[in-house]
Amino acid sequence: MTALPLAAWAANPALAGRWRLDTKRSSALDGWTAWDLVVALDGTRVDLRHDMQWRSTKLTATNTADTARPTNVKDFFRVEQRHMALYQVRGAETPVKAEWLDGERTLRVEAVVPVETSQATVPMRIYQELRLIEGDRELVVIELHSTRSKPLVYRFTKVTGEK
Amino acid sequence: MRRLIIVLVGVVFIAAGLRAAETAPAKVPAPRSAWVMHFDGDWRVVGGLPEKILLVSLQGLANRGTAQLYVVHPKDFQWEITEPLFEFYQRKHGVVFTEVKTAEGALTLFAKHAKGYVIWEPAVPATMNVAFTIAGLDDAVVVTADQVAQVESHGLKKIDDLRGRYTGQTDAQIYRDAVTRYWARCARDAIMLMGGHAGAVRMPAMADWGIRQKMFFHDLSANPKHPEEVALGKELFAQLDPLGTVFGWHSYAKDTEEQHTTLLSTFGLRMEGLHNLPNLSFNCQFTFTPGFKFTNNHGVALDAKLTAEKKVYLAFVQSDSIGIGVWTKPGRGKLPFGWQVTMNWTKFSPAALEYFHESATKNDTFIGGLSGPGYLYPNHIPADKFGPLMAEARKLMAVLDEHVLEIMDNSAADGNVGNADLTKETVDRYYAAFPDVIGFINGYGPARTRDLRDSRAMISYDYYVDPRRPRDEVAADLNELIAINAKRPYFLLVHVRESNDVNSLVEITKQLDGPVEIVPVDVFLKLAASNQTYTTRYQDPEDPKHFKGF
Repeated sequence: MTALPLAAWAANPALAGRWRLDTKRSSALDGWTAWDLVVALDGTRVDLRHDMQWRSTKLTATNTADTARPTNVKDFFRVEQRHMALYQVRGAETPVKAEWLDGERTLRVEAVVPVETSQATVPMRIYQELRLIEGDRELVVIELHSTRSKPLVYRFTKVTGEK
Repeated sequence: MRRLIIVLVGVVFIAAGLRAAETAPAKVPAPRSAWVMHFDGDWRVVGGLPEKILLVSLQGLANRGTAQLYVVHPKDFQWEITEPLFEFYQRKHGVVFTEVKTAEGALTLFAKHAKGYVIWEPAVPATMNVAFTIAGLDDAVVVTADQVAQVESHGLKKIDDLRGRYTGQTDAQIYRDAVTRYWARCARDAIMLMGGHAGAVRMPAMADWGIRQKMFFHDLSANPKHPEEVALGKELFAQLDPLGTVFGWHSYAKDTEEQHTTLLSTFGLRMEGLHNLPNLSFNCQFTFTPGFKFTNNHGVALDAKLTAEKKVYLAFVQSDSIGIGVWTKPGRGKLPFGWQVTMNWTKFSPAALEYFHESATKNDTFIGGLSGPGYLYPNHIPADKFGPLMAEARKLMAVLDEHVLEIMDNSAADGNVGNADLTKETVDRYYAAFPDVIGFINGYGPARTRDLRDSRAMISYDYYVDPRRPRDEVAADLNELIAINAKRPYFLLVHVRESNDVNSLVEITKQLDGPVEIVPVDVFLKLAASNQTYTTRYQDPEDPKHFKGF
């Protein structure tokens, strides 16, 4: 049995819960009007649930990662810029890696997402860091794409009293 | 007989357009007189709406015989064309306008065209539409109780009073009663969907046209949540003449554009909006000026062959009807731009088309749309209606010297996101119906219907410029598309929402990475036909659909 690095087990419970996007302090969403990120922790398993809204349309999608081992996620949900012709490949699996960093203040998620473009299906490498801000009431999510030179920076505020 | 007259009038307009396409000596038109009113922007039910309703109903009656009354709207009105077109009528048609400053003045001049008045009840919103229907059929002006004394002072008598008749009834009940009373006398080549703004503000600026043409007015819902209204709407659509037109716009309070356009398309009808498009009763009475010929700014000849280089080709198109938005905003002419022309205006508003043509720069190319001779969703057009509709579109495109057709089917979309694709059957039909175009473009928001047959490419938008999106993010989005679509040539078709301006797009283009060339949309399609680096794709039945239809 291979010993797991300590960081893989040391989930930070402060990350768990519902986080609501502060749209005024974040990169502009495109084709979404609201975003709640709901984090659930279970041992090394991390569920990142996205409660999205576009006008009156609501959508919920969960990406599950594991800080102990790489996983494959079917229909990985990408908070996409919806006015770009980049589409999820239905049924495709996305390799996902996750790791706690910075004394479990940061969760790093890396995914290689198949994306349908107008020319072909191609991989997009997505690198995310979910960084807890001091006081644990705010969360910053920084997202890089292998295809985008400009980072996406999303700021969330903890929501209490809602699941 | 009435319908025959309308048909004949339509034929005259088309014939006029065809004649305009021929070379003819320029003539200075004989001077003619008309009147103009300047409206303010107050459309509140408790504010300026009642007077505007009175005036547009009067306009519809006054303009029945000849074009007498034109309305100029403020610069921030959605249809920004009214003032430029006012100037155009003076300059090119020799119209000498006299300003009418007040409703009282308008009644003094034009009350003689009315036989009486009908009273609507603002507390029962649907009575406005019932009153408009009566106005068209019985030559009435439409008033509230507070305006009765004013119109009676001009000799008008009461024709009907809707106060109390419909109190407590649903819209379905009200319109059902109106159908029983009036539908048999209404036009069958067209119907007026007078929806749009609802509640405290309403904007029925298109009512003059419906009254002039004796249309049935309603704002029945196409939302399946309102089954009684949907059922009645279907009954009416089923009784319209083949290839009839639904003027106006859906109610913002009841249903969506996607739902209503889907519904009317299933009957082989087409939409001509919006509900606040003004002055059609005036505009329809002018033809193209003598000697005028549409000569589009083609970037490439129909039979030319181009070869794409290993670079990114980008084309901009605006499709929200040419009369609103970007055309009048700063910077037009600085970039090659395709402009979707509402081709039906050849019949209803030829002067407006001539104005756009006259003020076009060499970078402005007109393309046909939207999906055909009017706004329709082709995935839902019955097979037996598709051919006749597109035959009309071909004729209108020939008049307008257009070589590119824009298609849009948002029946399964969610506003400007989601599924905007065409089925293979629909694509097959377009290729069969338009053998002589350079190509087709598809979508509103992004879409993924693409094809290439012989030399005709069909390309969907890869990007939609949301006017609210920060410009640096738009540039980043476009650069990401350029990066991820790594094969060259890459054909990047961009839809520009009407409320953008060209100057901001110029700044965005300066931030693009790589070898990018911005080309006119016709050149774009020719190049796309030379090297298919894009996939062939149609709507997949498994693709998500926001609205699944009726």
